[in-house]
Amino acid sequence: MKGAFRWTFLLVLAAFFVIPMLAMARFAFQSVPVVLLTPETLLTGWSIQPILTIFSTPQALSAARVSVLLALFTISLNLVLLIPLAIVTEVKAPRMRPLLTALTLLPWVVPPIALVVGVAATFRTGAPWFLASVYSLVPFYALWAMPFTYRALDAGLQATGAKTLYEAARSMGASLPVIIFRVLLPNMTASIIAAAALTSAMVLGEFAFASLLLKETLPTFMVNFQRSDARAGLALALFVLVVTAISIGLVVRVLRKRGLNVQTTGI
Amino acid sequence: MVAVDMERVGKAFGPSVALTDFTVHIASGELVCLLGPSGCGKTTALRILAGFETADSGTVHVAGESMSGVAVENRNFGMVFQDYSLFPNMTTRQNIDFGLRAHRVAPKERTDTIDRMLHITALEDQAEKYPHQMSGGQKQRVALARAIATRPRVLLLDEPLSALDAKVRESLREEIRHLQREIGVTTVFVTHDQQEALAIADRVGVMSKGRLEQIAAPKELYEQPTNAFVATFIGSINRVPGYAAAPSEWQVLDRQVRGTRGSVPGESAELGVRPEDLVLSIDDGPGQQGAEGTIGDISFLGAITRVTVQLSQGPRMIVDVMSAGTTHLSRHQRVRVCLSPEADHLVVMSDPQPVASGQVT
Repeated sequence: MKGAFRWTFLLVLAAFFVIPMLAMARFAFQSVPVVLLTPETLLTGWSIQPILTIFSTPQALSAARVSVLLALFTISLNLVLLIPLAIVTEVKAPRMRPLLTALTLLPWVVPPIALVVGVAATFRTGAPWFLASVYSLVPFYALWAMPFTYRALDAGLQATGAKTLYEAARSMGASLPVIIFRVLLPNMTASIIAAAALTSAMVLGEFAFASLLLKETLPTFMVNFQRSDARAGLALALFVLVVTAISIGLVVRVLRKRGLNVQTTGI
Repeated sequence: MVAVDMERVGKAFGPSVALTDFTVHIASGELVCLLGPSGCGKTTALRILAGFETADSGTVHVAGESMSGVAVENRNFGMVFQDYSLFPNMTTRQNIDFGLRAHRVAPKERTDTIDRMLHITALEDQAEKYPHQMSGGQKQRVALARAIATRPRVLLLDEPLSALDAKVRESLREEIRHLQREIGVTTVFVTHDQQEALAIADRVGVMSKGRLEQIAAPKELYEQPTNAFVATFIGSINRVPGYAAAPSEWQVLDRQVRGTRGSVPGESAELGVRPEDLVLSIDDGPGQQGAEGTIGDISFLGAITRVTVQLSQGPRMIVDVMSAGTTHLSRHQRVRVCLSPEADHLVVMSDPQPVASGQVT
């Protein structure tokens, strides 16, 4: 009885995720008129032409390049800012943790439109050049990804017992740089990788900020492209979805293989 | 010679006082256990000595040198933590090497020291293993090896055995004692396990509510506790009503004995009697010595058997008798409880009180 319930639940859950994707795949990759997409035509007319169309569009490649670079910059900025913050909080001021946990959630409380309008108004008067570059999205994304990143890093530090490791290393006479680079950072690998994976997944799928600031990133390109070629647009969306899922799967696999505890990383 | 002196050390965390007027002098090479219930301030005392916390008042001297302003990393103390705190990304060898590198020991000497440490802690076959590949006992041995590799001036152990199971705990505590004697390092060992403390320490300091209640050799602590807290915390004790019989003698269970403090004529007090200082005899009518009562429970504990007796006029008593002599005892049996002839010194559990008029003298 219990087993039957579990299987039913899993099947419903799978259907919830798989049916829309299957529908997407059929729409994108079957050159069959939409009205004829019935069970009988399931196996006819499949083609990878739509995705090839995308790859031959220079704009698609440049948008993808921009998004990947945005992801890399965002990850770097966030890690540079948040690793020291997480370490200092855990080791020196553990009582600050609840406050920081609440603070890092703030970006999710403020809607993107409010953030964009506020920041745009601030910079337009002082530094209008800031908003001209596509990379002005980096600070927005860094802020938006902060909750993931901070949580992943904090969970990693907690799981390794960073405070006692720090104290043990100090009692053995180690200096602060030695403690950070030889003890704390190597034991944070799992959470750093997890934070990076989550951040890049977020950046690669972010639409609101880019659209509001009129920047062309992969998601905004995708939406615009769908207007002119719906099939190719959906093919690209599906492609990005699958690539992201596979990359996160690979990250988890690598972490597991290295004996790192995936559950503590927030993935 | 590395003696440790903590003089009138005080520490509060916000409104809660962790340590009050804490004074302890530890001789060079001595092993002192700080023992007490959780929250009694023992770990705070250790962390102040280690340099992880700063005392609000008082002084700490090690080998005559004031520790005020000396950073943890410059004290050259070895420390072992309750949760091992081995570096998970390093093998046993690398864990031991960490402190040696921080102390800038030459490579050849480092290798020799690591090999020697692995040998004395019997960890040769674990040298290339990572912490997650070892058992709790092995991990704590690595932590110990790592702490003593740098020849620390003082070794600090913060409940090092409490995460281990009973068997490992017992053998490891012997190992710690053996190693400590061999290298002669002044050691402070914090624990809440009285057996552990009594078994390995030269002296045990019993703490309660941030105060050091008594510090003495284990035997003295057990036999001559200075107050009721120490008496009840160390071992089991019965509280028996008694009254002053002579200037320094107390009348209890039909006997006159000396107490840990003198008495005021007419004073009555509770006296602490250890379960092994009582004997049972079969109650066969009036005229016998001792207090009469009925056996409640009999629990067999190996060499001894613990018998609880409800006195007809008085509290419930715990009596420890040699198991060999218990065949004639059974539940609900009428017995008499007397002080054993060897018991000649009892703990007075209550403070002196002004004598009320009309009391029996």
